[in-house]
Amino acid sequence: MVRVKRRYLLCEVNVSKRSDLLQLDDRAVAAAVRAAVALTHGDYGAAHCLVGFSVKYLNAHTGMVFLRFPKRCYKLLWSALPFITSIEARGQKIPCFLNCVHVGGTIRTCQKFLIRYNTQQLHRMLPKCKDEEEKQQVREAILQCSLPGGKKEAFEDELESEEDEEK
Amino acid sequence: MSVDVSHAPRSVLVCDRSSFLDEKNRISSQLQQLHFNYKVSLLLPECSSAPSHLDSVLKSFSSFYLIRNMPIYELLDKHFLETAVYQGSVSGLSHRTRIDEENCVALMPNGRLCLSLDKHSFQVLGVEGKPSKFNHKTKNRFVVSVDLTDSSMAPGGRGYVRLLTGLRSRLHLRTDFLLSHHPGGGASLQHLLSRYDWSEHRPEISSRVLTDLSCPALLSSDPQPGDAHSFLEWLGAVDADISCENSSSSFMSSLVCPEPKTMLDKALSVSVCGLLRPQDVHRLVQQLRRHLEQPGPAPWASLTVHGFVDSPVSWGDGEHGVLIGGENFYNLLMFQDHTYHLHLATGSHDPCPQ
Amino acid sequence: MSGVIKKDESGVYQRVVLKNAAPYHYVNVCLVLEDESTKLSAVEFKQFITSGLKSLYGEVGAALAFDVLKYNEDKRTALLRVNSRGLVKLWSSLTLLGSYQNQACAFRVLQVSPYLLALTGNSRELQLD
Repeated sequence: MVRVKRRYLLCEVNVSKRSDLLQLDDRAVAAAVRAAVALTHGDYGAAHCLVGFSVKYLNAHTGMVFLRFPKRCYKLLWSALPFITSIEARGQKIPCFLNCVHVGGTIRTCQKFLIRYNTQQLHRMLPKCKDEEEKQQVREAILQCSLPGGKKEAFEDELESEEDEEK
Repeated sequence: MSVDVSHAPRSVLVCDRSSFLDEKNRISSQLQQLHFNYKVSLLLPECSSAPSHLDSVLKSFSSFYLIRNMPIYELLDKHFLETAVYQGSVSGLSHRTRIDEENCVALMPNGRLCLSLDKHSFQVLGVEGKPSKFNHKTKNRFVVSVDLTDSSMAPGGRGYVRLLTGLRSRLHLRTDFLLSHHPGGGASLQHLLSRYDWSEHRPEISSRVLTDLSCPALLSSDPQPGDAHSFLEWLGAVDADISCENSSSSFMSSLVCPEPKTMLDKALSVSVCGLLRPQDVHRLVQQLRRHLEQPGPAPWASLTVHGFVDSPVSWGDGEHGVLIGGENFYNLLMFQDHTYHLHLATGSHDPCPQ
Repeated sequence: MSGVIKKDESGVYQRVVLKNAAPYHYVNVCLVLEDESTKLSAVEFKQFITSGLKSLYGEVGAALAFDVLKYNEDKRTALLRVNSRGLVKLWSSLTLLGSYQNQACAFRVLQVSPYLLALTGNSRELQLD
């Protein structure tokens, strides 16, 4: 039982207009990463990107991306991420930058981190609300988006695919 | 798997500091470690022509022979063994054979014959040997080392016959061979030389006068041995005739003379090339010491001795090989107060010099 | 990098062993061109090597600092100095440089050493004929 060693980078895509996020898809992000790696690390880096690199998950609402890199060269590829200044999706260029928030060995640890991270963010945001009513609104909004269905299913898919890799 | 692209191969540099006046100094045994010296170069500051006593030592370096296309079993010839090898007066090395590709042979002054063979030749030869320690995993190079002065290797002995028949009838190993001998020992080689195409060569001397040279301030009591590398770099730049006068913003090169530096009005660089005997080098060192003792402006003198890249042995009896470059050389920096700095440098496939 | 220091009581004798401490590596290269009459100045030569580094290792590779210590315009041979960490990068990009201005070319790496001194005493250059 040998496991193919990977590193998963949990990145958030920062854009100036939030509505632009909905334009993004997996392929656009992958192409942007590949282009940045080819620019900063040349053919050598681009070749590292050919095997084992993929965009595992993209949440177009929150702008969270899971990038999968082979473990042996993830630092090299990671160093190219700050050079991404825009992502081209559906014919338009979206100016943005990637902010890496976590590096994990499995998707599961990244998911756990993401949940904790979001909780932390919420705790940080809630005290900033002006009155009770606003807080209530936020809580309702959270409940709505964490309804069983959309997001949760997506995560289950990811977990299955991760187990596939464990040979 | 991916290869780490930011690692250079192994190298070792040994820096020794001591004084000629210290009874425990090992300088003469250290200088004898390199049996096959290719080039000796001297750097004498404040000197524009070699002093006569140095010049005569340089000119008295013994000559050496090149024997073309000689079968190696000739080294086991009874007459040759008796007149030359047992006297310890002869040493030799195969010429124009690359140790990373071909079979190399060395005959050491102590009577040891060392063959560095590829796997096929080793199996054909059928004599006991050891896998080279630098690629012991793949086992594609083997070292056969026999002591010709040993009783079992006496002509007619078992080991002798086995090696001789191996070299004569199974592995037909022929190479160009360089031989050097004791001064005056040439007669003992005539029997061997008469049968092959040979030529005698004198070590080639060349000298250069350098003017207005920037030079690192060398002090005998310099406490920091860490700048050995920068000193050797500067010496190499002088030897290769590379200018050290660059500004930090220069596009081509940013090589500069190490700080603190001084200017030398003139300096003399002399080099001798050929197959040089360690005894000759030792005599040269003695003369250099005498040169430094004389009242004069020369505060130091430097001597660099390069070994043969393709020699199967270096640093005593250690095995030598080539990975990216087979450098094995030493630099001796001598000062007026009898102290010296000795730098012994090796490449990747070398033992650590003692 | 590591060093072993042995010192005797009198302080006269000192021995330091430096392992893998060479800050630079030196490379002796020769550029072989299809058309022997092509002239290449030292600046063009360095620029050419940098372009090779850029295509193989990108902008990061192009930023690798190396020096052309000596260049012979007639023979197109050069002595390069490169940081030890960059040796493999430089060497591999030299190997993969295959064309200069639309003509086939090749770099021959003649000698590599962690000491500049070793490049002046290469016994493979001994000519006796």
